[in-house]
Amino acid sequence: MDRPDRPGSGPPPAEASLLNKPVDRRRALTVLAGAAVAGVQALNACRPASTLSEEQRELKLLAWREYIKGNYRDMTEAERAETIARLERQALVERGSAVTIQSTGAQPGVVFGYAFNISKCKGFRSCVEACINENNLDRNADTQYIRIFEIEDGVVDLDHADATFQHEVPAEGHFYLGTQCFQCADPPCVKVCPVGATWQEPDGITVIDYDWCIGCRYCMAACPYWARRFNWSAPEVPVPEVNPNQHYLGNRARKTGVVEKCTFCIHRTRQGRLPACAEACPTGARVFGNLLDPDSEIRWVLEHKRVFRLKEDLKTEPRFWYFSD
Amino acid sequence: MHLKPFLASALRSATSGGARYHVWMGLLTLVMLAGAWAYGIQLRDGLGVTGLSDHVSWGLYISNFTFLVGLAAAAMMLVLPAYVFDDVDFGRAVLIAEGVAVAALVMCLLFVVVDIGNPLAAWHLMPGIGFLNWPRSLLAWDVVVLNGYLALNLAIPFYILYSHYRGKRPERKKYLPWMYIAVMWAVSIHLVTAFLLAGLPARPYWNTALLGPRFLASAFTAGPAFVIVLLWVIGRETRFPVAEGAIRKLAVITTVAAQINLVMLLSELFYKFYSPTHHGINARYLFFGLDGHHALVPWIWTAIAFNILATAGLMIHPLRRNTRWLIPACVVLFVSIWIEKGIGLVIPGFVPSPLGEIVEYVPTLVELGVTAGVWATGLFVLTVLVKVAIPIELGEVRSPHVEEPRPARVTRPRTTRPRYDEDRPVRTR
Amino acid sequence: MRFRGGKPMLHSLLAAGLLSACVEDDSPGTGDDATVEPGGPATAAAAPVRDDSLEPGTLGSVRAIPVVGWSGPGGRPFEVALRTRDRESGHARRFGTITLRTTLRGGTPDLVQYPCTSCHLGRTVAMKDTRIGDAHQNIQPRHPALLGAVCSTCHSPSAVDMLTLRTGDRVDMDQGYRLCAQCHFAQAEAWASGAHGKRLDGWQGRRVVMGCSDCHDPHRPAPLPRIPFRAPTIQRGGGHD
Repeated sequence: MDRPDRPGSGPPPAEASLLNKPVDRRRALTVLAGAAVAGVQALNACRPASTLSEEQRELKLLAWREYIKGNYRDMTEAERAETIARLERQALVERGSAVTIQSTGAQPGVVFGYAFNISKCKGFRSCVEACINENNLDRNADTQYIRIFEIEDGVVDLDHADATFQHEVPAEGHFYLGTQCFQCADPPCVKVCPVGATWQEPDGITVIDYDWCIGCRYCMAACPYWARRFNWSAPEVPVPEVNPNQHYLGNRARKTGVVEKCTFCIHRTRQGRLPACAEACPTGARVFGNLLDPDSEIRWVLEHKRVFRLKEDLKTEPRFWYFSD
Repeated sequence: MHLKPFLASALRSATSGGARYHVWMGLLTLVMLAGAWAYGIQLRDGLGVTGLSDHVSWGLYISNFTFLVGLAAAAMMLVLPAYVFDDVDFGRAVLIAEGVAVAALVMCLLFVVVDIGNPLAAWHLMPGIGFLNWPRSLLAWDVVVLNGYLALNLAIPFYILYSHYRGKRPERKKYLPWMYIAVMWAVSIHLVTAFLLAGLPARPYWNTALLGPRFLASAFTAGPAFVIVLLWVIGRETRFPVAEGAIRKLAVITTVAAQINLVMLLSELFYKFYSPTHHGINARYLFFGLDGHHALVPWIWTAIAFNILATAGLMIHPLRRNTRWLIPACVVLFVSIWIEKGIGLVIPGFVPSPLGEIVEYVPTLVELGVTAGVWATGLFVLTVLVKVAIPIELGEVRSPHVEEPRPARVTRPRTTRPRYDEDRPVRTR
Repeated sequence: MRFRGGKPMLHSLLAAGLLSACVEDDSPGTGDDATVEPGGPATAAAAPVRDDSLEPGTLGSVRAIPVVGWSGPGGRPFEVALRTRDRESGHARRFGTITLRTTLRGGTPDLVQYPCTSCHLGRTVAMKDTRIGDAHQNIQPRHPALLGAVCSTCHSPSAVDMLTLRTGDRVDMDQGYRLCAQCHFAQAEAWASGAHGKRLDGWQGRRVVMGCSDCHDPHRPAPLPRIPFRAPTIQRGGGHD
């Protein structure tokens, strides 16, 4: 029913070459090849349900339901409970790890603040070790939320700092300064996330919904303190070392391709406990508490010590101060 | 009723051609398949198979994305003189330019897709079923403007081609308003991409007011250069008449834009190097290396040298008017802008890190494979679009339902009255 | 500043005076104003003194109240309340209630010699008593030596299980913080306020802290250097750092 194209509009005079086959056969071959490939893929993807074990079917259903869920912020309490139940079940079935995932909200009248004593820090990195264990950080990639810098006396300049020191500490003529996520009051990372996967909770903790994050890493480019980490490969924690006390927005099992960061141990601090780093520090260099409580230690430090913050000029208003004795 | 024959004829055009055409398409297909296979590895093992790290979290993919947004924007800017000033020289080149824009956009979107860590979750970006953090997030702006621009660049040329296919003149009042919108949109896509980077105070290398204008200047350098080379190839390989005036004017645009780009580059370098502040440390890494790390130093100096050389060459009238010098100059300029705006812009922004740590970036084979695959896809799309458009524009292909078929003829372009004093024709080989 | 024995500096005298004047000890669970003898023999019970001229926030008064039913870490916890001129608040005050957990020199390893009365059977110890020659040779009195002090500067010769303040008052080993605060008043204030040392429990609720000697060996107070936990691996390409 198609009339052929006008004269003079066909392909140019063919050189007698293998490459100039008539279009029909070429198209037919393309279609056939495409169909074959598609068919094989379809066969692979849709194995009849009867070949899957009960456990595999359950896992697939859990994975599907997890995939289609929305942003944690927009979920109702019931939906949150459901997703937590699914995640706990997944952890148990897939990895044999029995965990409890909290969805504890922020306590009213609480905004967390942190102070770091650069006279007391001796560079022991006990905080780093405690953080790794508490937050189920990837052992393969040796993810560390906390960075301890050794700096020469006389300058507070991170361009001349060394975080890779591995010698007896404290070293003469140096002081130590630790960084982690500062839970800024005006966080640039929250501003730039295109899907709203990261936001700040009322108690000041900037959190990430790992299942909503698409892994674009714009937040990592935006953070002035290099506080965020990306899962470049599948994170792994040996099951005996898993901390089963988890929070949905904190130290639950993450997956490849999403961003994570320090959450001030949200699973502990929302229960009134100290973050693992503050608890582990042997020199007492870390002070943590509620900025809204006038009787708290953090408030005493801010009122009586000479405090400073990093990159104050960027106006991110970090809730992490440094002071010295 | 013309649609099915249009699509069928388009498919026919795209799949038929001479030996060189088939070799070209075959080669592209091979590279696309290799890229797809490399991407499969990346999907399976995670982005750890690339050279990226927590320190340098954006690399080759976003570098190419940044460069190609410029290419897409510049292609559209050529439209402005053609339609607004009714410059017929540009008339035919415009559809080609829009083809370039579509291909570049496809590459941009593909580079974003291969860069994100959780591509299956991309539906989270869609307002309605997901959540788009507009207007706070510049990336959300970018999603909106790029997709809108793609829609415009698909719709307008489709309308024009489809009208020609049906033997009708496209109605100016139907496409001209969209054309104006598309031209302004073209500026916005590149400014938004520039603001995406410039709006980060955490990255002093990008956090300058000049980044947006620099982006536009380098886009207008690389874009027309690419279109010149493309038109030259089309002029040699097909019967499509490429107006000498078009290439001449494009060359002038490229030259002026290249000069402006160099001035802006000079301005940035002065600001970064005159005082040894923290703001200049990334530039120091790029140009001179830092603490023994100097992976990018040869690249940037090559780019600067190419840029100056090509710009100087293009400023010489006899050289610019001779395709024997024009084409290589455009290629060299294109490459230099790719280096300077791609890897010379994105990667130094991360070195050193905000906490002063220096971690360098070297792309892996998987990364290079995916990049090559995306470029091959873009060139494939471009070739197909051009291959479909040309016969229609030449009048060789018309809908079978057309009542009064126009005779097939090769149209000679009307040359305009020379506006400048260069009234000599462009010499081709 | 060098502290020469016998010639205290004015401010340390003041601080010591203030401290000793205001320190009181309470028995478990009783009300605010009860004063009870501390856990050692023959110590004069200090009368509770509230100095109204004190600014809120200074180390106005420290009370050590043993805690009943403590299930946290440590051996013999005390509840230490810091009182200011704000009388109405009763227990809680400018810095909240801190619970002192002292484990009697939990930091020093050579603690096989407590209680002192196991050797010094109530009699006065002469400094040159060398009957058991190597009894205390493991103690390197760096800190006292720096101050020109001798053992009896801090240890009460007549009641060897106790410590002695500059004013002559004797205090329990558990109240060693009072001794340190005589000179290290700045650190003591920071300690009471939470900027020196750490909390053992969470940030919320009752504060549980340790005494000075739980971290600082009084004879060698400087923290010992150690090899840190492993450095971060900064990789190039292909992953994390």
